[in-house]
Amino acid sequence: MADNWDSEPTIRTVLQRVLDNADSRTPRRPRSSGAGAQRTLLTTSSSRRLSSRTKTSAKQRSHGVRSIGRLAHIQVIGNLKEQTPRTLVENILITAPKSSILTPEAMVKPVPALQVVQPSRRESSQGSLELQLPELEPRTTLAAGLPASDRKKQRLRLSVFQQEVDQGLPHLTPRADRGIPLGTLGLTSFNLTFATPLKPQSVRRPGLARRPPRPRAIDVGALLQDLQDNSLALAPPGDSLKTPIANLPSDTVLEDTQPFSQPLVGCSPSVHRSLPNPFPTGTEDAERTTGDRTQSSGPGLQNHSEYWGSPCCSIFTLLGATALACFVSEVMEAEESQETMETEEPEGSSEDENTSDRPGKKPSILPSETREPVSARLTPRPRTAGSRPRQDSYKAGLNHYAKLFSFYAKMPMERKAFEMVEKCLDKYFQHLCNDLEVFAAHAGRKTVRPEDLELLMRRQGLITDQVSLYVLVERHLPLEYRQLLIPCAFSGNSVFPVQ
Amino acid sequence: MALSTTVSQRKQIKRKAPRGFLKRVFKQRKPHLRLESRGDLLVHLNCLLFVHRLAEESRANACEDKCGVINKDHVLAAAKVILKKSRG
Repeated sequence: MADNWDSEPTIRTVLQRVLDNADSRTPRRPRSSGAGAQRTLLTTSSSRRLSSRTKTSAKQRSHGVRSIGRLAHIQVIGNLKEQTPRTLVENILITAPKSSILTPEAMVKPVPALQVVQPSRRESSQGSLELQLPELEPRTTLAAGLPASDRKKQRLRLSVFQQEVDQGLPHLTPRADRGIPLGTLGLTSFNLTFATPLKPQSVRRPGLARRPPRPRAIDVGALLQDLQDNSLALAPPGDSLKTPIANLPSDTVLEDTQPFSQPLVGCSPSVHRSLPNPFPTGTEDAERTTGDRTQSSGPGLQNHSEYWGSPCCSIFTLLGATALACFVSEVMEAEESQETMETEEPEGSSEDENTSDRPGKKPSILPSETREPVSARLTPRPRTAGSRPRQDSYKAGLNHYAKLFSFYAKMPMERKAFEMVEKCLDKYFQHLCNDLEVFAAHAGRKTVRPEDLELLMRRQGLITDQVSLYVLVERHLPLEYRQLLIPCAFSGNSVFPVQ
Repeated sequence: MALSTTVSQRKQIKRKAPRGFLKRVFKQRKPHLRLESRGDLLVHLNCLLFVHRLAEESRANACEDKCGVINKDHVLAAAKVILKKSRG
């Protein structure tokens, strides 16, 4: 509170003094507020920001005084309450008479929010404008004359709201801050709101800055989906304008901080009760502006905003903090755009990586295979190097099986393929010998027996329960070999291949 | 015989097993082991089956590519599969 006062200069201090004086007396307050409003009107045309700051400071002051008064004297509290209902009643008057115009209602909502919030925020200065506006409006409304029924209803709402505010002031203040800017945005010009609101979010709570990363993870996936779903999500232009705004607040709630989101909910009911309609009306202009901006910014942003809107709409309606949405939405849009850019870029890079990896993997595998046979070749060569005839015989043997390959293939084949087959055969013999060694070693033998080869072929899937080794022998080997392999009874009660 | 690039299909092959070659290969690679008497024939049989599989696979690959000639890549792809299958 003190910081806020100190920070803001001349006009503020003057207004604060006036408010302080006015707080003691209930009647003066309206005067000060009215004067402030008049001033603001004059100033707003020239420079709204200054006026808004001053007003906000004044309001903050009033709040601070109220809080102090509560602590110190109950009487003061009573005065404050009277004053607050006063303002509320005025606001109600403004709202009630205008059935056709939504704006007055909107004015009423922001006021309560401002009262609660302003102490915490300097930037609520925008909110101050709102307070002034309602006061100004009441004059007109009073002249018009309000229906009694409307007043009663509003009074009830106000009373509830005030009670809530009194109870929740300490807790609500931070929450209210956010709520206020939204209302102010709707009411005030967007230009003013844009510059101020962003700073407070980042500066005020350092802890909050850490949180945004969470939403990002969600955002990335969601945004990607959004892009895809945009076609589906895209609605008629009118809907689109509404949706983006709604989306933005939801984003803000998620991204900024969860604690804030809860307070918003708490505040929202009171506001929502008093003014269901006003926010939309106030926000519409903001929406239009935002929508235009979003459109100008790019299709991607709109898509994102729309995407957010669909899920968030329900939440948004519940919260009833449309004004906040407007204010935050622009900021959020900017952030979202940046985030989307960031997210998209990494994804693109990741995709590129994936694509690059795929091709890279294949080549890596192929060369590995090719290299292995080469190494296999090299290993046998040095051994055989001593005697050339062996190497030639080895190649001749491989060539023999390569010819068998060409026979089985039943197709002409390239010479390189022929060489490749020899490589494969070399590799195959290497594996074969290793396997046989392992089998023999496992059986505790140093001799490779036919059982080992049978086991090997069984493991290779060549021998199955339906196809036995002898069947294979009969199929593939000539008769002389078959006689050697398949046991057969001979005369003399003897079986040749002894088993 | 195609002169340069292609090897025509073999119409006739020797069905005789290069038993000496097989024994030598095994002895060359595993000098400390001994191959039993008919082992080389079974190795020959195994090698025949391996070549058979390899030929069929590479032929299938060539047919998939609608090539009339078995290519080096076809053999390579087939070898990748068949060598894996023929692990002990």
